[in-house]
Amino acid sequence: MPRSRLSAVPAQQLALVFCIVALSGFMAVTYPGFASIENAEVIAMGFVFEGFMALGMTLVIVTGGIDLSVGAVLPFSAILTALLLRAGVPVPPAVFGALTIAALIGLLNALAISGLRVHPFIVTLATMLSLKGLNLVLTGGGPITGMPPGFAWIGQGRLLGVPIPLVLFAAMAVSLGLLLRHHRFWQQAYLIGGNPRAARTSGVRVSFVLAVVYVVSALCAATAGVIAAATHGSASAGFGQNAELRVITAVVIGGASLQGGSGSIGGTLLGLSFLALLYNAFSMTGVSTYWQDVATGALVLGSALATELVTRRRERR
Amino acid sequence: MNALVTLDGVSKRYGQNTVLHDVSFEVAPGSIHAVVGENGAGKSTLMHILGGLHRPDGGRLLLDGKIVRLKGPLDAIERGISSVHQELSLFPNRTVAQNIMVRREPTRAGFVKRSELEARATEALARVGSGIDPTLPLGRLGIGEQQVVEIARALERRARLLVLDEPTAALTDQDALRLFEVLRDLRAKGVAVLYVSHRLPEVLALADTISVLRDGRLVATLVAAETSEDELVRLMVGREPEPLAERSVAEPGPDLLVVSNLGRAPAFADVNFSLRRGEVLGFAGLIGAGRTEVARVIFGADLLATGSMTLGGEPFSPRTPREAIALGVSYLTEDRRGLGLFLGLSLRDNVVAASQDAVVSRFGFLRPRRLKEVAMALLRRLDVRPLDDEREVSHLSGGNQQKVLLARWLMATPRVLIADEPTRGVDVGAKQRIHAELQGLSRSGVGIILVSSDLREVLSLSHRVAVFRAGRLVRILEAVEANEEAVMRYAAL
Repeated sequence: MPRSRLSAVPAQQLALVFCIVALSGFMAVTYPGFASIENAEVIAMGFVFEGFMALGMTLVIVTGGIDLSVGAVLPFSAILTALLLRAGVPVPPAVFGALTIAALIGLLNALAISGLRVHPFIVTLATMLSLKGLNLVLTGGGPITGMPPGFAWIGQGRLLGVPIPLVLFAAMAVSLGLLLRHHRFWQQAYLIGGNPRAARTSGVRVSFVLAVVYVVSALCAATAGVIAAATHGSASAGFGQNAELRVITAVVIGGASLQGGSGSIGGTLLGLSFLALLYNAFSMTGVSTYWQDVATGALVLGSALATELVTRRRERR
Repeated sequence: MNALVTLDGVSKRYGQNTVLHDVSFEVAPGSIHAVVGENGAGKSTLMHILGGLHRPDGGRLLLDGKIVRLKGPLDAIERGISSVHQELSLFPNRTVAQNIMVRREPTRAGFVKRSELEARATEALARVGSGIDPTLPLGRLGIGEQQVVEIARALERRARLLVLDEPTAALTDQDALRLFEVLRDLRAKGVAVLYVSHRLPEVLALADTISVLRDGRLVATLVAAETSEDELVRLMVGREPEPLAERSVAEPGPDLLVVSNLGRAPAFADVNFSLRRGEVLGFAGLIGAGRTEVARVIFGADLLATGSMTLGGEPFSPRTPREAIALGVSYLTEDRRGLGLFLGLSLRDNVVAASQDAVVSRFGFLRPRRLKEVAMALLRRLDVRPLDDEREVSHLSGGNQQKVLLARWLMATPRVLIADEPTRGVDVGAKQRIHAELQGLSRSGVGIILVSSDLREVLSLSHRVAVFRAGRLVRILEAVEANEEAVMRYAAL
C-alpha cells in the first residue's frame, strides 16, 4: 500500500525517536567522550537489568495488568543462585533452580489475579513486600560471595566483543518482540487488555494466558538477577532498588497504556534507550541525582499528556 | 421450507420474575425475521438465549430440526449463530483484519500470516459490500463501520443465523440504509437474519415475518406484507390503558425552564420545550432516543453543543453538575448503583452528599448531630426501611436505595427535578411512595421532568408528555391526548 508505513507508527514513538536523536546529537557535540563505543557499552550495561524486566512488563501491561514484584524477584533469584552455588551445586542446575522458583512466583501472582480476582497492583505489591523481607532474611543484610569462577562468564564474558548480558538481552528482546507482534498465542495479550469481556466470548483462555504472561515477567526479572549476581560476583538484597518504577516508566514512555491493549516491545526498547541515555547524560553533565528524578517525573507526565492528546484528537475525527 | 432455527416453548425466569413465557417461532434460511416489542418485553433475553449467553429454563431450541443445547457463546458461534450486540464486542486497538479474524487467524507454526489474514478479512468485507481498509485500527472507524465489521466477522465464521440487536440504534440514517442493503443481500445468499428492534418502519420495510412480544409472551407472528404499523402498535401495547390516576390537578404556573434548539451530536438535536412551575413533564420514548442525554445537558453533566436554556428567566448553561445544583437543578440518575449511590457509605452520608453546606459549621467541619437530624427527617419522610442512618446503603433493597437517592435530591431543595427512571427495579410499595413524593413536590411548585420507560407511570403522573424518537423531540402531547397508543405511535414510527 502506498500510504506510508510511517503513519502506522504511533506519534508517541516518532516523538521518542526524535528525542533520542536530539539528545544524542547534543551530547555528542558538547561532550567528546559521549560518542564512543566505550560509552555506548556503559549506557547499555547500566540499564540492561531494567531492560530484561521491561520485556516482561510490556506483556503484563498489554494485558491491562502491572507487576510490581519484578524489583524484588531480581535480587531474590540472584541470592538463590549465589546460595546454591556456594553450597556446591554446579552452575546449570543452580541457575535452573533459581529460574524455576521465580517462575512459581509468577504463577502465584497469576493465580491470585485471575483465580481470586484480586487487582494485579495489590497482588504484586504483596509479593514485592514479602520477597524484599525474604531477601534480607536470606542474606542477613550483607552480600553473598564465593561463587565459582566459571559463573562469572555469564555476567562478564564477551561474545564477538559484545558483553554476554547484552547478547542475551538482544536475543530475548527479538524473540519476545516477534512473538508479541506476530504469534497467535501471544497476541491474545492485546485482546485481554483491549476488551476482556469480548476476549472471553471470542474464545480466549484468559486465565491461562495471564499465567503465562506473569510467569514470563518473573522469568525476565530472574534472568536479570542471575546475570547481576554473575556481573557483580556477589548477590545482595540491595539489587534492583526501585527498579520496578524505572521499568514501568520505560514501558509507558514507550507508548504502552496502563489501561491495557496497547504497547509493543519495539516501543519499550525506545523507552529504555531514551531513559538510559538520559541517565548517562545526567551523569556526564554532572546533574545531581535529585534533579534526575525531577526530570524523569516531568518526562513521564509529559508522555502521558502527549498520549492523551493524540488519542483525543483521533477520537474527535 | 424447512426452518433453520425453531424456538419451541422457550421460557426464562430471573428469580420469581418470568421474562420469557412459552415463546415459539421459526426462522427460515434466506429470510429476515423481526422481533418487536416495548422495552422490557423480553427481546434482549430472547437474543441472549440464541447467542448462548443465557440458558432457557424451559422449552427447546432446534437447529436444522435437531434439539441443541448451547453451552456458551463460542458454542453458538461454532454452530453458525452469530450475534451482533448493541454493545459491540470488538477490540478498538486492533486492526480491522485482526478483529474480523480474531482467534481464527491463519498461522504457520503459530505465527500469524499477515497477508493471508488481510486477504481473508478483505474478502469478508467484500461479502458485505464494504471497502474498509483492513489495516486500519478499528477504533478509528465510526460506529456504523464497526457494525459492518462485526457482521463481516460473523460471516467469516460461516454464520447461518445472524442475530442483530437494535442495530440501527447508534447509526445515522445513511449508515442504516447501507446496513439494510447488506442484510437484504445476505438474505438473498441464504443467510437467516433475526432482527430485534422496536423501530416499526424499518422492521416493516425489511422483514419477511414479524413476531410481537409483550410482557415476555409471544402475542403474534405476522407476515410483514400483511400487517401495518397501527396493528403492530396495538399488539405491542395490548392492554387497555388504565385510568389516569391522581395526576395533580393544580394548574401549572409560569415557565420555569425553557429549552431552545438544544443539540449535542450525535445524541440529539433541535429539542424545544418549556417546563412550568409545578408541572410534571413526562419524557417518553424508546431506549436510546436521547432522553437521558438531554437530561444530562440540563444538569451540566455534558456540555451543550447548540441551543440555549433559561431558568427562571435567567440564561442558564451549566458547565458542571455543581453549577446546576447551585442554581436549583437536581438529577435523579437512572443508574442508581453506577452514578448515584456511594455504595460503601452510610445512608446519611449518601443523603447529604449533594448539599453538605447545610450540615457543616462555618469552618467546614461536619456537625454530626445536625447531620443525623437532617438525614433522619428525610429518611423518615420517605419511609426508608430499615430506618438506620448509619447503615451501609448497599445493604438496602433496591426500592429503599432509590428512596435514599431521592432523599439526597430533596435535601438539595431543587426548583427543577429531573427524575430519570425513578422507579426502575423497585417494588410496588416504594414505587407508590416515590410517586407520592414526586406529586407532592410538583404541588409545592417544583418543576419535574419525568424520564421513564414505564409508559403507565409517565401517563399517570405527567401534565404533558414529550415524546422522543431518534434524538428528536417529535411531539408534546397534552394530558387529554396522551395515551399509550399515541405515545407509541410517535415514539416508534
